[in-house]
Amino acid sequence: MTEDDALERVVKILTPHVRNEEALANVSAETNILDDLKVNSARLVDVVLAFEDEFDIEIPDEDVDSVNTVGDCVKLIVGKAN
Amino acid sequence: MGAVELTLRGRASLVLQREIGRLLGPIWIPIVAFLVRVAFGWRFADLQTTRETYKRLRSASSSPLLICANHLTMVDSALIAVALGGPGWYIGRFASLPWNTPARESFASTWYSKALVYLMKCIPVSRGGDRREIGEVLSRISWLLSVGETALIFPEGGRSRTTRVDTAAVTYGVGRIVRAVPDCRVLCVYLRGEHQADYTTLPQRGDRFHVSLRSLEPKTTKRGLRASLDISQQILSQLEEMENEYFDDRK
Repeated sequence: MTEDDALERVVKILTPHVRNEEALANVSAETNILDDLKVNSARLVDVVLAFEDEFDIEIPDEDVDSVNTVGDCVKLIVGKAN
Repeated sequence: MGAVELTLRGRASLVLQREIGRLLGPIWIPIVAFLVRVAFGWRFADLQTTRETYKRLRSASSSPLLICANHLTMVDSALIAVALGGPGWYIGRFASLPWNTPARESFASTWYSKALVYLMKCIPVSRGGDRREIGEVLSRISWLLSVGETALIFPEGGRSRTTRVDTAAVTYGVGRIVRAVPDCRVLCVYLRGEHQADYTTLPQRGDRFHVSLRSLEPKTTKRGLRASLDISQQILSQLEEMENEYFDDRK
């Protein structure tokens, strides 16, 4: 899986939780999920669980700590999936 | 999961914080109790029974004990601490006085509030903040539990806007702590003032609180994040059940 492919699928999963549509329109690897996209922190768990289902991977609790930006998600997923 | 990991520096800073809090405990613990019971006039139904139950739980087993409660007002941590033990007992059994994780924005935004919460066994956390910081706080709480301290966590992650236990607001952090600490027991605490009808910052002055306690040893067959979430959900379901019992008793 390429990072571009993962990025596209990550954005798709994040979209229903995003409260800042403008930031979503300009999303990049540096976009912060909580600060820029305004995803509710309590919903971050749902997002990570959706990553597990979508990419058929298991993400340990500790790895969730490293998820701040869209790029962090992509790196984590690609690292687990490949 | 199963082993509690925290750097030597992290452990040393917690031990230092605990010892400073303990040394000054004879000053600040009675002050907090005075504020709760006299200045605000908050009272508790069956206070002795509640305190005896907590004492029994603490002495019955050396297994770590995590306290999980519903969350209605900004002073719930203090109310629960006062409900579970008297100042004299806490001064002698400082480990039984629970650690807390208050919101930094509300309780640790100035130098003096930072100093106060430091003294009062608090580890401030930025709600919705950096995930690494939240992970570090969870590790600190896990380590404290593993060395015999107690901690109080609100599984809903914040105060309920509806004044009822919100099972949809479940956070995975509580489950993560339980999974990280071997043989961790959970003490569910349901606290409610008789006049708590709406979302408020403080309970009404002179309100009378009902406190119910229930022990829980959550188990899960799930893995990873789902396991943590499953445990958190079991705890919140228990609190919801206790809430239903509270309202059923008042019909």
